[in-house]
Amino acid sequence: MEMTGEFRIPAPRQRVWEGLNDPEVLKQCIPGCQALEKVSDTEFNGRVVASVGPVRATFGGKVRLSDLDPPQSYTISGEGSGGVAGFAKGGAKVNLAEDGAATLLTYAAQAQIGGKLAQVGSRLIDGVARKMANDFFGQFAAVMVPEQPAAAPAVERARVAAEAAPPVPPPHPMSTRLPPAVWVTGLAVIIILLLYFFTR
Amino acid sequence: MYEFNYHQPTSLDEVARLLGANEEAKIVAGGMTLVPTLKFRLAKPSDLVDLVGISSLRGITDAGDALVIGAMTRHAEVERSPLVKQGIPALAALAHVIGDPAVRNRGTIGGSISNNDPAADYPAAVVGLGGTVQTTRREIAADNFFTGMFETALDRTEIVTAVRLPKPQAACYMKFKNPASRYAIVGVFVARTGGGVRVAVTGAGPCVFRVPEMEAALARSFTPDAIKDIAIPQDGLNSDIHASAEYRAHLVGVMARRAVAGCG
Repeated sequence: MEMTGEFRIPAPRQRVWEGLNDPEVLKQCIPGCQALEKVSDTEFNGRVVASVGPVRATFGGKVRLSDLDPPQSYTISGEGSGGVAGFAKGGAKVNLAEDGAATLLTYAAQAQIGGKLAQVGSRLIDGVARKMANDFFGQFAAVMVPEQPAAAPAVERARVAAEAAPPVPPPHPMSTRLPPAVWVTGLAVIIILLLYFFTR
Repeated sequence: MYEFNYHQPTSLDEVARLLGANEEAKIVAGGMTLVPTLKFRLAKPSDLVDLVGISSLRGITDAGDALVIGAMTRHAEVERSPLVKQGIPALAALAHVIGDPAVRNRGTIGGSISNNDPAADYPAAVVGLGGTVQTTRREIAADNFFTGMFETALDRTEIVTAVRLPKPQAACYMKFKNPASRYAIVGVFVARTGGGVRVAVTGAGPCVFRVPEMEAALARSFTPDAIKDIAIPQDGLNSDIHASAEYRAHLVGVMARRAVAGCG
């Protein structure tokens, strides 16, 4: 599946970049994240409890950053594999553009899922990805609010497209403020979650 | 399947005790979603608390202007119940098109709405009829019960005990089903009730939702033509290998018109 999205974050680009690279910020925003540690400047190890409907799984994943061009862009990729269920891997190209005093974050992500889980879960992948994104950004907004008391609404739009299907924006009103770190983190989380589901 | 401890309590108090004592415990009603999940090793509960032994959760009663259906009532029982056929025939018809006979003989209304699968049939009926969900702690209006994909207003240890569904003046459920799973690709439940017209859609989005624009149009003129020009935005609708969001949006209109026609 492929997902693309765009968010306007009411914070300077440098700060957004730092947030996206801060494991503490990411950990607070990734749904079910139990641990996230920075292994090196470009590698994170994480453990997430993913819970969607009847599915509840703990999975460990690895996230790597590459093509770094701070504070403008990087590529984030993750992979997980495991057990009888299959595998998942994915990546996203994240771009930060200055927009006045704010930052415009855009991303294009891909995820591949294989094995038994892909067969069983294909009906739900799209919805799960969107739900995770909503949870992540909602939490990110909450985390950022104390630091940005007067921040303007940041969410412009987000689209998720599964397979070759048309774009599908999130149904739920997304929270109004989205820090850049959150986005990057969110993408990583989504990928990880997908990996979970497909990896078990 | 991973190992777990199996419990079959006979009272809700015992259920509460078991859930309180085991953080990783899971409730099982009919098991039509949970058991396949366990088989795929996609969940690893420490304990399964089976509600099958609690007789008070089962059965259908006529409360005059409403039917009260116990949470552990099987789909097949709803489908065949003379009370349902007479009081809310659209509900019996809906139960008849859930899954296959094996699912209908095991699956329960309480399990279905607690799981809140985005493509499940019952949420459309509960919202479409303006029902009330009764739990071990409170009563929750249908409009407030279903909160998101696989999410409800229930707390972890709170259990649905029954669903109260007002008898409508007329109602009809139409679904475009996946031919393999019989899940709703799109299902629309339309009801004329004392409180107005209600249109509830399942399968199309991450969670059941109403279509206020159609409800208003149908309140003025309860005919399929009244809603033929109402387009459903595809934004936020599900898109998967079975149907695109655009197609689902189109199907909502088609199924809604058929359901209105089906109300007679």
